[in-house]
Amino acid sequence: MKRTVSIVSVAILALVIAFSAFLATRHPVSDATVAPSPLLGKLAPALKGHELGGGTFSLKSERGHVVVVNFWASWCPPCIQEAPELSTYAWHARTKGVVVVGVVFNDAVSSATAFAAHYGSLYPSIIDPGGTIANSYGVTSPPTTFVIDRHGRVAATLLGATTAKQLAAVVARVSS
Amino acid sequence: MTLTWLGRVALYGAFLATLGGIVHQVIALRTNRPSRSLRWAVASLVGIVGAVAVMQFALITHNFSLAYVSENNATFTPLLYSITGMWSALEGSLLLWSLLLCAIIVVVLRYYRRRSEDQVVSWASVVLFGVSAFFLGLMCGPADPFIHNGARVLQGAGPNALLQDNPLVAIHPPLLYMGFVGFTVPFAFAIAMLITGRVHDRWPLEQRRWTVLAWGVLSVGIVLGAWWSYQVLGWGGFWGWDPVENAALLPWLTATAYIHSVIVQDRRGLFRVWNLSLAIATFALTILGTFFTRSGVLQSVHAFSSSTLGPLLIGFFFVTVALGVGLLAWRGDRLRSPVGVDHPLSKEGLFIANNVLFVGFAVVVLLGTVFPLLYEAVNGGQVTVGTPYFATVAVPMSIVLLVLMSLAPLVGWRTLDTSVLWSRIRVSAWAALVVVAALMLAGVRRPMVLLAYFLASAAAGSALRTLRGAFVAVRRRGQRWFEALRGPSAGGMVVHLGVVVMALAIVTSTSYTTRNEVTLATGQSTVVAGQFVTFHGFRTVKDPLETATQLRVDVNNHALLPAITTYDGRSEQPVGTPAIDSNLARDVYVTFDAVGGTGAASGAQVEGSLPAGSVVLGVTVEPMLAWLWIGGLLLGLGSALSFVRRRHGEELEA
Repeated sequence: MKRTVSIVSVAILALVIAFSAFLATRHPVSDATVAPSPLLGKLAPALKGHELGGGTFSLKSERGHVVVVNFWASWCPPCIQEAPELSTYAWHARTKGVVVVGVVFNDAVSSATAFAAHYGSLYPSIIDPGGTIANSYGVTSPPTTFVIDRHGRVAATLLGATTAKQLAAVVARVSS
Repeated sequence: MTLTWLGRVALYGAFLATLGGIVHQVIALRTNRPSRSLRWAVASLVGIVGAVAVMQFALITHNFSLAYVSENNATFTPLLYSITGMWSALEGSLLLWSLLLCAIIVVVLRYYRRRSEDQVVSWASVVLFGVSAFFLGLMCGPADPFIHNGARVLQGAGPNALLQDNPLVAIHPPLLYMGFVGFTVPFAFAIAMLITGRVHDRWPLEQRRWTVLAWGVLSVGIVLGAWWSYQVLGWGGFWGWDPVENAALLPWLTATAYIHSVIVQDRRGLFRVWNLSLAIATFALTILGTFFTRSGVLQSVHAFSSSTLGPLLIGFFFVTVALGVGLLAWRGDRLRSPVGVDHPLSKEGLFIANNVLFVGFAVVVLLGTVFPLLYEAVNGGQVTVGTPYFATVAVPMSIVLLVLMSLAPLVGWRTLDTSVLWSRIRVSAWAALVVVAALMLAGVRRPMVLLAYFLASAAAGSALRTLRGAFVAVRRRGQRWFEALRGPSAGGMVVHLGVVVMALAIVTSTSYTTRNEVTLATGQSTVVAGQFVTFHGFRTVKDPLETATQLRVDVNNHALLPAITTYDGRSEQPVGTPAIDSNLARDVYVTFDAVGGTGAASGAQVEGSLPAGSVVLGVTVEPMLAWLWIGGLLLGLGSALSFVRRRHGEELEA
């Protein structure tokens, strides 16, 4: 009896260790929700402004490139989660005619600059005083990401934290 | 900043009181003094109540100085959804969880205050405090609900659209949490029994009471969740085998096995190791369920928040199981049953079958739930495990379950006397045959439906016969009739009746559902699936919270308003709201599927080929669906009866 119990216990324990270790090492499914938006298929609203580190950005001059526009804020936890993914994606896609640009949403310039520095952003972010850009894009909460095709039309809207993998898939779909 | 500090002080107070409770209790155990741990439990309850009050104050007054409030509340969120906002995301849910846990610890310790010298009670309170410390600790560390928000937030994001669509958000999650938290009590006592080695006491039966309470609350919570998803389009009817639905089902299954097999331990002294394992497994599965909901590793409609708590929760799951298994191995020799099962068709034999069924199904559900992860790890691809997999197992399991429910209440302990069984089952067997004959005359030909009705009638017959026996016995003793409801098996039999009713509702509604789509222009009528449907036109409802396009539809002269709603604040994602005309015979479920013309701003799918002003309505007729909710009510009622039932001592005095 004693022996059977011990053997069974050790077996169960081993199984549970394997099971727990397996689950503990899974990565969250963190893909953003691809959402319908009234902007889909329409020309993207104007997107122009001063970048965080100086310099300016204008969507108009990016015609011919696929542009990924990401609205973020330093106070938004999912933005923290997706920041490295966006940098990874921006870096890998820079040679493929894809431009990633952030738009600071409802945040102080100082905190946003600190955020970008802390997460080593590899893409420019423009400031949006008064939230006019966010308004014209209908963004109510970060993170929201828009993919704008070569002709300047909005091709996809992603709500929530996205990943490099998801962006690559969406952009591939948009470019084809 | 004030709210942040107030909340944190209350929270840390609760955490420290819990730690104090552990230390105090362990010292009391070592020095063999009676413990005063109830005081510590009350202190931690006071702390957590304070923290919850701060959070509720911030939510109700839309005070965005807390980051949690700015993410889950908006200036225009109405009172009800401001309150429920506390469990719309991870950190706040932990507050609710801890509140319920601290409250139940106080109740349990107060209930056993006269036995506080008992080592089992002492060790159990150490375990209870330990679990409480874990959850409070999560909020003091990685899941702080009181993070300060420095930025000026004008409006706030508002709760997730799906979480402000239906008032059930105020009931369903708290009931589920209460059920989950309730399973901590049998777990704590199981661990305490193993540590003290006092596994032969009457403690397991004592614990059945708490388990039944948690089980009943969880059952009602699950049924209400099904009702909710039934009312919200896109969640796949009332049950979708979604990972998080499964997460609630898993502990429910093992707890169901437990409350049956404990009876055998009480009457025959069997299944000691097994019962302790079930109590531990049930609690461990609630932690695993929390992991599934909160880690975001599984794709689910419920995974409202993904967080970094995953490894901590899974670690806690592991510690729980390891502690349980280790103690069982250590105490294995003391747990040997003195006797065995004498006859496979005796009551204890059927209880074993019941346990094999429920635990087996739990394993099947667990495998189905984590299979997509395993598949992805091995093949790198994505795969979903859906209804077909679960249904292949659930259907035969339900049939065997109904057979067991027909037999088990009627057979005796230890032996099988076929003539006695036959004399007891005769009436319900004939009645079941009459039901089947009547159905066949009415034109029902599907063998599965006929089989289900036959077995369900027999199971209901067994339950009713047992209930009648209780009433007869009470009358013979000259007591009043409601004493019968407090008898030992009355609650259980009411639960059985509830299960039978639910089984019939599920079989009938899924077998005979008719789905139709009709296109109607304003002012047109049609007859679809026997229902007279008229479309009167559109109505736009706009308030600060939402913009809804409602359709004025009449179904058999009952006004219905199926709608597409867009909630301001969080997202532009429209939510479809079906309208349901329900009676005991059938539900007519009307959805706003598409709109003709340009569809100006309704948020519905636009059907360009149709003229403006016309709509596509989905009309689904589901017979007998309302009985699913009635069965759920019976489940709750039966568990309540089982909780307040006479205990054995009282019965002897009577």
